[in-house]
Amino acid sequence: MALNKRERKNTELKVALAGNPNSGKTTMFNELTGSRQHVGNWPGVTVEKKTGRAFYQDYSLEVIDLPGTYSLGAYSEDEVVARDFLTAGDYDVVLNIINSANLDRNLYFTVQLLEMGVDLIAVLNMADEAEKKGIKIDKNKLSQMLGTPVVETVASRGRGIDNLLEQTVQNRNLTEASLKIDYGSEVEDLISEVVEMLKQYDFSQQINQRWAAVKLIEHDPEAVKLLEREVGASKAKKIKSLIAERELKAEDDFDNIIIDKKYEFINKIIEESVKRPAADAELENVSDKIDAVVTNKYLGIPIFMAVMWAIFKFTFTLGDPLIGYIETFFEIAGGWIGTQLLEIGVAPLISSFITDGIIGGVGSVLVFIPNIFLLFLAIGVLEDSGYMSRAAYVMDKVMSKLGLHGKSFIPMIVGFGCNVPGVMATRTLDSKRDRIISILINPLMSCSARLPVYVVFAGALFSSHASTVVFSLYIMGIVMAVIMAGIFNKILFKGERSHFVMELPPYRFPTLKGVIIHMWEKVGAFLKKAGTIIFSVVVLIWVLANLPLGVEYASAESFIGQFGQLVAPIFAPLGFGSWQAASSLVFGILAKEVVVGTLGVVYAAGEGGLRTALLANFTPLAAYSFLTMVLLYTPCIATLGAIKSETQSWKWTLITASYLFVLAWITAFVIYQGGMLLGIGV
Amino acid sequence: MPLAMLRQGETACIKEIVGGRTARGKLTDMGFVSGKTVKIHRSSGGPLIVGLGDNRIALGRGMAHKIIVNTGGCEN
Repeated sequence: MALNKRERKNTELKVALAGNPNSGKTTMFNELTGSRQHVGNWPGVTVEKKTGRAFYQDYSLEVIDLPGTYSLGAYSEDEVVARDFLTAGDYDVVLNIINSANLDRNLYFTVQLLEMGVDLIAVLNMADEAEKKGIKIDKNKLSQMLGTPVVETVASRGRGIDNLLEQTVQNRNLTEASLKIDYGSEVEDLISEVVEMLKQYDFSQQINQRWAAVKLIEHDPEAVKLLEREVGASKAKKIKSLIAERELKAEDDFDNIIIDKKYEFINKIIEESVKRPAADAELENVSDKIDAVVTNKYLGIPIFMAVMWAIFKFTFTLGDPLIGYIETFFEIAGGWIGTQLLEIGVAPLISSFITDGIIGGVGSVLVFIPNIFLLFLAIGVLEDSGYMSRAAYVMDKVMSKLGLHGKSFIPMIVGFGCNVPGVMATRTLDSKRDRIISILINPLMSCSARLPVYVVFAGALFSSHASTVVFSLYIMGIVMAVIMAGIFNKILFKGERSHFVMELPPYRFPTLKGVIIHMWEKVGAFLKKAGTIIFSVVVLIWVLANLPLGVEYASAESFIGQFGQLVAPIFAPLGFGSWQAASSLVFGILAKEVVVGTLGVVYAAGEGGLRTALLANFTPLAAYSFLTMVLLYTPCIATLGAIKSETQSWKWTLITASYLFVLAWITAFVIYQGGMLLGIGV
Repeated sequence: MPLAMLRQGETACIKEIVGGRTARGKLTDMGFVSGKTVKIHRSSGGPLIVGLGDNRIALGRGMAHKIIVNTGGCEN
């Protein structure tokens, strides 16, 4: 048994992928694990570590994809995730994914890892891009100078993957000495002294003492904290004051000296192992040419607006006829199944469950697959192309007036797909204040789950202006987000300003594979949601519509009717005081599509389906007020859950849930009562 | 002079990075270190777009003030 266990252990490896943003880590992860994992061409798409499995020969590899980071400095939440994982050391090998076309900056991180004593394989990824630029890398020389294996790959085309896996399993027991950079006599003398002092303490046996000393000399806050925790404040102070004393005598701050020496070391490596054609730096590349237009002072924002409008038009113009087909399909199928069930003598209750409950409820949500499909297709292309970070750049002008910077705009765009990843994407923001404000306003970005509600109402009540009405809701969401960000900026923690640095990756043609994986993943998630939560809620509502026993289906006397009547007065001043509307909003908090699902179930009894029922029960003004409510009110439980886990605070979660409800109510009230006064849409 | 004061299209050599620990750390992580050539690709009121080798980096004005440069490229 014992032998078996060891054998198993020998063939099981834990491998971490680490590297700079835009080095192709996630593409590599997909290539290794075959996972359906989305890759975005903007910094920080992976904000949480993700695990998958790869198999090679007899080996089974647990592969962990870490968020991209430029160093172990960790200035934002996503970088902290990567740093904590790497310093904890619970892995066999790190595959350090390096953008070959951008070697010097990428090596800064590599060198930091090697200094720490991490067992790593330097993976020269995107080798094709380097080749295209005429960059030649002497792998052997590089490997020798770094003291670690070097492998060349092109993850996006699957090139070099087998070799990488081979090297990974062969080097699973790398125990080479950590890299030593000569920091000059001044610093080196101090390092030796600090190492001597550290040796007195037990904890230093488990860590790389030289590395710890360097970190302390750099005044790395994490290292100082560790020291204080392990040896107590007074002993730690002795080491700290020795460093401070020497620093006074030194010609520059120690951290500056250390950074400069690191880069000197890297420059030497580059000089000896890399050949690049002269004078190509001056050549303007295609990305620069696109940027000259896209980030133009005057054109930037109009272009961004046009892109949003194009995405919107694409989603609707292409989606609408498809929705029509699916709708017709469900109508015919519902009718046919209904008569079939009647003919074979199935109890009316079961027949009602299938036609009213499942087809009326879940069916009315599934109709929107084409829209969701197209919306995510468009967002996928936007993300993968590299335009996302340009949009963030352009929007900096607006965002900076709100005390945020352009980077805060990326989570907002992600929110148009779904607010859960939108809230998570705020991890890339390094100031707590920016994060909280961005999280608070993210639910105002109209997510894809609200789309079905808009389309049903707009189709029923605003036929000729349907797309204008829906677009106006998206704009209203953005405007409200801007207003609320301004207000939060005024009342919340003032002052704390963050540093705006954001990489603009080169534009890339989105690959069909990448976009399809992205789209399929989202549509799959939507189908799963339809099959689980939406289905369950719809069934629950159908049951409530049939109880107490003997009640007329979906009447005011049914449980759902009684419940709706209880809540309805809250919404009466907004123009939709019916119990049906009220209960759909309450259950909509479970998932926003459920608003349509609920209406589908409770109006299913009527002739002519949901649209006819809406036409009979809503004026255009009341419908617009209702849609405003759906846009702005309390986010779904999944989003609230994400807010709770990201802020680690019930306070912010409850504040989000409640301020949005109040905001929604007031806005809908103003729209409805204002419209009544002016006599619009009544 | 600070990088923020250069005009669009101008090239400069980084002399040093000043400012607080976090700002300095973030800049050096991105490759802004002394001896590197930077080019201003865009300077029109908002954040700068700076070329650093083949990288293009958007840089807030505040951050761009922390990068001290000599005008003209680096010697080598």
